[in-house]
Amino acid sequence: MPNNNYDISNSVRDTIYRATIALDGQEWHDWLALCSEDYYYIITSFSPEINKDMIYMEGDLKEMTSIIDLLPKHNTDHSPLRRHTSVYTVDVAEDGKSASAVSSFVVYQNMLDGNNSHIDSGESRLFLVGKYIDDFVIENDQVKFLKREVKLDNRRLDKGSHWPI
Amino acid sequence: MPARNNKQWTADPKLEKGEWIDSRVYSDETIAEEENSKIFKQVWVPVCHESELPEPYDFRTTSIANEPIIITRGPDKVVRAFLNVCPHRGMLIERRPSGSFMEGQPSGNPKRMTCMFHAWQFDMKGNCVYVSREEEGYQDRLCKADVGLRRLRCEVKYGGFVWVNLSDNPSVSLEDWAGKPFECLQKSLDEEPLEVFHYHKAIIDTNYKLWHDTNSEFYHDFMHYHNRVTGFNDSYFARKNEAFDHGHVVVGSFEVNYENYEGFESRAELSFPHLPPNQWYMIDLFPGFNFNLRGSALRTDVVTPLGPNKVMIEFRGLGLKSDSAEDRATRIKHHNSIWGPFGRNLHEDLIGVTGQGTTMREKTDNRRILHGRQENQTIHDENGMRHYYDEWGRWMDRLPSAPDQPYSPPAAAAEAEAAE
Repeated sequence: MPNNNYDISNSVRDTIYRATIALDGQEWHDWLALCSEDYYYIITSFSPEINKDMIYMEGDLKEMTSIIDLLPKHNTDHSPLRRHTSVYTVDVAEDGKSASAVSSFVVYQNMLDGNNSHIDSGESRLFLVGKYIDDFVIENDQVKFLKREVKLDNRRLDKGSHWPI
Repeated sequence: MPARNNKQWTADPKLEKGEWIDSRVYSDETIAEEENSKIFKQVWVPVCHESELPEPYDFRTTSIANEPIIITRGPDKVVRAFLNVCPHRGMLIERRPSGSFMEGQPSGNPKRMTCMFHAWQFDMKGNCVYVSREEEGYQDRLCKADVGLRRLRCEVKYGGFVWVNLSDNPSVSLEDWAGKPFECLQKSLDEEPLEVFHYHKAIIDTNYKLWHDTNSEFYHDFMHYHNRVTGFNDSYFARKNEAFDHGHVVVGSFEVNYENYEGFESRAELSFPHLPPNQWYMIDLFPGFNFNLRGSALRTDVVTPLGPNKVMIEFRGLGLKSDSAEDRATRIKHHNSIWGPFGRNLHEDLIGVTGQGTTMREKTDNRRILHGRQENQTIHDENGMRHYYDEWGRWMDRLPSAPDQPYSPPAAAAEAEAAE
């Protein structure tokens, strides 16, 4: 139960790491349970090729829920993704009602499908690199994601993914 | 039919010539090398879009068939293409993917392409304008006028795409090459300037033609839940695959019912100019370029073969340059929902062709690949692929069903076999 900025800061870190665990485990609804009703998720990247900030994926809570609920209808690479997240900074507003955080992440693809699954499976390959830019709302002593920007360094995404990062 | 032994498995299928091909077309290293010289170095390639170099002195770098290329926009606003190679000792002149020559580089002046190695400089027309210590080293034996860049055929056309041909004497003009297939979209693409808003690439282990095949046949819509629930009606099954000269195919339009898919919306309000609401056209240009207009967003795929079993596909998304911020955001959302790297369809398409690449990597046993669906040249007919491989056979002088034999048209090949 956060009662000062130090506690809130720790709660923010804890929430980011819990999100990582939920995403790694493909526990999509557990991940969204960490988000507020006004949640907004966006994956971005800058392309020097076209000299533009780009959006690769975005959605509010309802849209992300819909995407997740439809996953069984889609053919998806089975290779699980494993995120290594490091929280760099946490800034808590003076009134203690909001916070923001910057984290670094690396996503590995732990091969299950592959060019030939009995050869590739079990191997981990670097998939994505970037930063999480997170905003939080603190209500009733609870830290909830208000917005997450997944800022990718990549423009080469090969097969891509159906899953949030 | 029961599972087959090897003899049965490798036997010719009970289909006509031209309705199947030999998998070596996808897996043979010699064929892949030949394709670069016989096809990619001879055809018009849409290397980028003019909105990627909007200002004078902007540049983009790319490559065709392993040849490095630089595209520049001159102070006269004309877009030109050159080999990105210094004529002195063959250094790559510009190493960045894009940028501006308005600023000087450590080895050279503003408004010049400068080779960092020995500071030779070139203007936006490819003229050599500076050779360091020219007279001391070359006296009167060689001068700037002798060492201009290698210019390439370059045109900006069909919605502002920059088309480059490595050949000084292309067998056909760009107009004759692509004009007819682009007729269905030309008014929509040329009504007002377009602008690129999306770029990403995939490098995957498969043959470039397998990607183009997937863009040429819609039978694989069984893989896409989104396409099944928003299409698969009478007008969808009536869509025609229209074949054009030079191996190109256009997939005709129909009205997509986007609202049938949870979380999606009609694209009618943002349809491209002159395009009826929620229509969808697709142009497949030989040997591997795709222009795909789903109402409000244009997607293009450009393939760069990297080997018999490796291809880079560059994906672009485009809207109208005049878009308001709100309209552009909506277009981007429409584009990404299906075609972005996290979209519903693209991931499935890439899984599909990578799976094919797995079974047809170099030195795998050759087998028969079926292109034999006949449905009156409608959407699930495989006539697009048959048309493509007949053209491929002509360019390569190889028979797609027996690539170690010279090309002959499908009917002639069938007659010859019957006479044996």
